[in-house]
Amino acid sequence: MIALISLRILVMIPNIVILTFLLFASMTSFLGTPAAIMLGEEASPTAVAELNARLGFDGPLIGRYFHWIGNALSGDFGRSYATQESVASMIANALPLTLELAVYSITLAFLAASLVNSLPFMRKTVERITSSISLVGITIPNFFLGLLLIYLLSVQLRWLPTTGWSPWSNGIVAHYTHLIMPILTLTTFYFSSFSLIYKSEYRAVENSLYINVARSKGLSEGRISYLHILPNSILPLITYAGLSLGQLVGGAVVTETVFSMPGMGRLLVDAIAARDFPVMLAVGIVIIVGVMILNLLADLTYGFINPLVRNAS
Amino acid sequence: MTKISPSRAVGLILLTIIAIVAIFAPLLAPYNPNAATIDVLAPPSSNYLLGTDSLGRDVLSRIIYGTRISLQVGLAAAMVAILIGAPVGLVAGYFRGRLDFFLVQIIDLFIALPGLVLALIITAMLGASVENLSITLGVVTAPTVARLIRGQVFVVREALFVEAARATGASSAWIIRHHVLPNVARTIWAQLAINVSYAIFTLASLSFLGLGVPPPASDWGGMVRDGATFLPILPLLSLGPGGAVALTVFTFYLIGSSKKQS
Repeated sequence: MIALISLRILVMIPNIVILTFLLFASMTSFLGTPAAIMLGEEASPTAVAELNARLGFDGPLIGRYFHWIGNALSGDFGRSYATQESVASMIANALPLTLELAVYSITLAFLAASLVNSLPFMRKTVERITSSISLVGITIPNFFLGLLLIYLLSVQLRWLPTTGWSPWSNGIVAHYTHLIMPILTLTTFYFSSFSLIYKSEYRAVENSLYINVARSKGLSEGRISYLHILPNSILPLITYAGLSLGQLVGGAVVTETVFSMPGMGRLLVDAIAARDFPVMLAVGIVIIVGVMILNLLADLTYGFINPLVRNAS
Repeated sequence: MTKISPSRAVGLILLTIIAIVAIFAPLLAPYNPNAATIDVLAPPSSNYLLGTDSLGRDVLSRIIYGTRISLQVGLAAAMVAILIGAPVGLVAGYFRGRLDFFLVQIIDLFIALPGLVLALIITAMLGASVENLSITLGVVTAPTVARLIRGQVFVVREALFVEAARATGASSAWIIRHHVLPNVARTIWAQLAINVSYAIFTLASLSFLGLGVPPPASDWGGMVRDGATFLPILPLLSLGPGGAVALTVFTFYLIGSSKKQS
């Protein structure tokens, strides 16, 4: 097990280096150096070169990359070109919101997909309902679902505030009423894929011999569903949910934009619109590292739960 | 001849309608989609069935013309994804060993990243245009295609007829072209429809974030973005084009997903 963990971490580090280098190199070559962006097209080449030197952007690409990654590792992502704010503190403000959104939506989708699809009664009805929800989640873009919810719940019924985000300091009720629609949007989106994955595994396990044995012993259908089939068919879903959590850190972009929430996704979109180089890079590296770490955790959970994997090494 | 499943039949009928709308857009659209008028933000009426936007442009006409851009980018992106993904998947799956290990490492590296974010960053660097968006969305989907085809090739390469071809001294390239490719072609075609639906979905999301086909083109995601401000008074301004996206994505998804079961 320890050998497995060390191997996975060893593979992860070069992956992070490759991806961040690709990000850094392609951004500088396509967008131009930061000074060229800041000073505009009219600036004299000497002024551009001078500013680049001051920002540490005058050496060869590899050198610049290590300069940047070195600073990033010590928590210094530079300052935003657009607002002059420290990028690290911008990230520190945006990340908790996105994480909160991600954890709630993934947890809800995970519970719903596994519990609802294991229901031992009304199989056909449940199947029809979950399939319809899956279809909605797969084919309706997040922004459209979000707008439909806003139109229905805020504009027509006036139950919920339309958009925005309310920090904890404004009270728990305001905090959660602002979160309901974004969470609902993302949960629907994730429920679809979770449901498909869990269902196919559930069906495979359902037909195995030990389930027949359990049934012939006279166990109740509820016991069989939740205590025998569920634990044995949940593994792929756990892995997939872990991977989704990594993706969601960057994937909530659309939802955060629809609901005007100041999370990581919004930060990225605003940075792209303003060509705010340090912010784009910083969000990029946070997403890359987040995805890699969550992939690792998903693999390890898998190994931890499944004895076949655990004892293989 | 395989039987056509009901859901696929529905998908094909919807696709025919969408294709007709795209091809005959100039005949079907009541107005020029880009002509600004003084009828700004008009509510739906007999003149303007879905109302007009903040520049006085007819929303229905813009939705009709938007079909063209979505189909164009969606199909082009799906083709790009297959042109990149299929060769990689075939080579990785057929030769296995170190080459496969290396290719899978790269594929997994990119599959792990959120597709939309990848597309956002690439579009930000290349600039948004119909061509660039098609390439970007194709590149983002290619790893998934490669992975899928690699899996299929694993099965086909063990088949007896491949073994026989190898025994008669056929070269790897010949076997891939004449035995492996025809057997995975079905998967590739089914994947095409799924890729189109994914590309249209992601294109709409990119446009909604402001990185789609630049104005004045009538791009669905961009229309939703502009119309969202007026959601309380003129809901159709954003919900209309949003519905068009959902319907088109749904259509291609039906065609692509039901083929798997047949």
